[in-house]
Amino acid sequence: MWELFVRSLDASIVLAIAALGELIGQRSGVLNVGIEGVMLFGATFGFIVAQTTGDYTTGFIAAIAIGALIGLMHGVFSITLGVDQVVSGMGIWILGFGLTTYIGNPYTGPLGMARIDRIGGMSPFFYLALALIILTWFVLNKTSLGLKIRSVGENPAVAEVSGIGVNRIRYMCVIVSGMLMGLAGGVYGLSYNPVWNYNFLMGWGFIALALVFFSMWNPFIMFGGAVLFGALWQLALSPEFILPGVMSRYLWRMVPFVITVVVLVVMSTRWFRTRWGAAKPEALGMPYRKEG
Amino acid sequence: MPTDNQIKKNAVLEARGITKRFPGCCANEQIDFEIKAGEVHAILGENGAGKTTLMNILFGLYQPDEGELYFDGEKVDFKSPLDAIKKGIGMVHQKRKLVMAHSVIENIMLGHPHAGEILNFKRVKQEVTELCEKYGFKLDLNAKVWQLSEGQRQSVEIIKALYRGAKVLILDEPTSALSPPETRNLLDSIRTMAESDLAVVPFITHKLPVVLDISHRVTVLRNGKVTAQFATEGATEKSLAKSMVGREVIIKLDKVEVERGKPVLEVENLSAYSEKDYLALKGVSFTIHEGEIFGIAGVSGNGQEELAEVLAGLRSATTGTILLDGEDITRNSTLERWRKGVGYVPAERNEVGSIADYSLIDNVAMNYYFEEEYVPRGVINYKGLRELTENLIAEYNVATPGPDVNARALSGGNLQKLILARVLSRKPRLIIASLPTQGLDVGAIEFVQNKLLQAKKDKAAILLISGEIEEALSLSDRVAPIYEGELMDIIPWTDAERDNVGAMMAGIKPKVESL
Repeated sequence: MWELFVRSLDASIVLAIAALGELIGQRSGVLNVGIEGVMLFGATFGFIVAQTTGDYTTGFIAAIAIGALIGLMHGVFSITLGVDQVVSGMGIWILGFGLTTYIGNPYTGPLGMARIDRIGGMSPFFYLALALIILTWFVLNKTSLGLKIRSVGENPAVAEVSGIGVNRIRYMCVIVSGMLMGLAGGVYGLSYNPVWNYNFLMGWGFIALALVFFSMWNPFIMFGGAVLFGALWQLALSPEFILPGVMSRYLWRMVPFVITVVVLVVMSTRWFRTRWGAAKPEALGMPYRKEG
Repeated sequence: MPTDNQIKKNAVLEARGITKRFPGCCANEQIDFEIKAGEVHAILGENGAGKTTLMNILFGLYQPDEGELYFDGEKVDFKSPLDAIKKGIGMVHQKRKLVMAHSVIENIMLGHPHAGEILNFKRVKQEVTELCEKYGFKLDLNAKVWQLSEGQRQSVEIIKALYRGAKVLILDEPTSALSPPETRNLLDSIRTMAESDLAVVPFITHKLPVVLDISHRVTVLRNGKVTAQFATEGATEKSLAKSMVGREVIIKLDKVEVERGKPVLEVENLSAYSEKDYLALKGVSFTIHEGEIFGIAGVSGNGQEELAEVLAGLRSATTGTILLDGEDITRNSTLERWRKGVGYVPAERNEVGSIADYSLIDNVAMNYYFEEEYVPRGVINYKGLRELTENLIAEYNVATPGPDVNARALSGGNLQKLILARVLSRKPRLIIASLPTQGLDVGAIEFVQNKLLQAKKDKAAILLISGEIEEALSLSDRVAPIYEGELMDIIPWTDAERDNVGAMMAGIKPKVESL
């Protein structure tokens, strides 16, 4: 039972780190629906580099670096060129799917390295994720930088008049966002499921994306959601642990995706928005151009 | 122009020969003025007189083609609003520049050096509270901005500008969204600011009494040029209006006496929810007769928008009935209502009243597309519509190159004339006119008001929703102040007193003896 819980937390960590990245970007007003693609890049590059060098650290650095690069690319498209952010994000996902399949193909199979040591029975990334979540919450709500980020995401014109470089803040957030997504991909490919196969992320990026909406842009609620989704996922893999014989495992495996759809539908109803209001960054998804 | 050096030294902001050209419209030509510390200096002009351009130049959004700006006697060159803010220019736009989801204090400290790397709420709160007390603003610093009234939001912007160290405070139409008591408070605050040696520059289109009340000096713009500059002392509303428009304007309308006919609109216990899912209209009842203008006076956001929409069939009624000429139309669609003789002049003339990228013909067609005459067997008769549009343009003096231009190309006043033409030409039984003169200049206001009076003579029943107490009182036969979705009272114009109506618009119940 404990084992199942720890294992499900491992899944939650991947979702939480990726969703945290998405959350930071969205708070500054940039939506990245290509999160799955960025994670695939991180997972694949981290996997290849780690296997080639035989060193985990280098692998993670590669995962973070490629994430930053893709984040930057999304920034150039959606901030500087003012492209529709959904289009740019979908492009990143398709690019990630295609390119990682092509590049990673020769590496199909297990990583073949000793597993990363656990600390106190937990994956070290558990502590890292917790620290990152608390840090993000603190920066967003208690610092000047956080106020700037939130203002840019809510109303960039107001931020600009208050002397804030809107594009500079957005670039910063979108790159940090990419780094975290890349890291999440790395954690997936090097720790959670270190066996490379094409599209081995199986839609986790989209679950992370849904988590951000689910969280109402609050890092702590987001983490709670990640724990829930991780547990559901693990349950789907081995339902006989808890409810032996109830429904096929393939049905169970659908559950996180069904919940994702339900969450997104409920969140987009008028009822929900008026009930909870004001949570969604007002300028989310909207390119900003200076006046005059 | 005064060349006396003594005066120049006192001027905190001075413009010399400011010229800005745009292809076509709204330019500034050789604008000169100086604003002194401790002075309230109103800038007056109709829409299109160049006020917005001038404001944008002062705030660094535009750079002038010619001419210079001096701040504290030193030549300045504002490349962006930030440059202007740093020098000490504070700007309060008519369109709010606040983050709605954030608290008041967060909005004020955004980008302010005292905010600190880790937000220093304690210090900023203390300093802002002192500022509020000094100038007489009452603000809950922890409230979210979206919860505040429009007037409170404006106060937040003023405090934000002052906290930023503004020496010159530019206010764009500062009283346009305020109830009369709120206006009085603001004017008191402005006086205190002037006494503390701040320069206050309100830009005003048509609230002439406000100009007379608070300003020391006035600069009047017309067609992008300064046409008059004088001390307010001794000026009258008439003289201000004349220098603004360039001709005599009738400020007070004469009441048009029309015999009240049978009831046209009977509204009973009408309630409706707003966009944000709260009960915005709470059981109102009233009747409007033939040849009567019924005025709803209220500050925006008190349910009058919902009332207009429910009557027009754009919003469903939660409770109550609407009778038109005795027939229940509560469940009728908008189209059925148009056919039965309801005409609607919406408040948002750009968003609801017209389609910006459609031609004037298509915009006129929106009230005619269901008429067999103009759309026989479902095919649009453009020839007929063109003729109709041309006639309306001529009859209502709409300034336009022709009926084929897009609605976007028309100024606010001309667009409103076209919308009015389209509605009134159908000879409606009931006219719902929601803020029909909002944002228009003096000349266009006069035109719209006269057309409504004409419709009254033609035996229409008119529901006039207005935020301007003067307008409501001078046009209406009966006035109902609205506050938080309820009609406070229904008063015949002969008994309506300005102060009394103003107080009711702010939610103060009528005194018992007047009931």
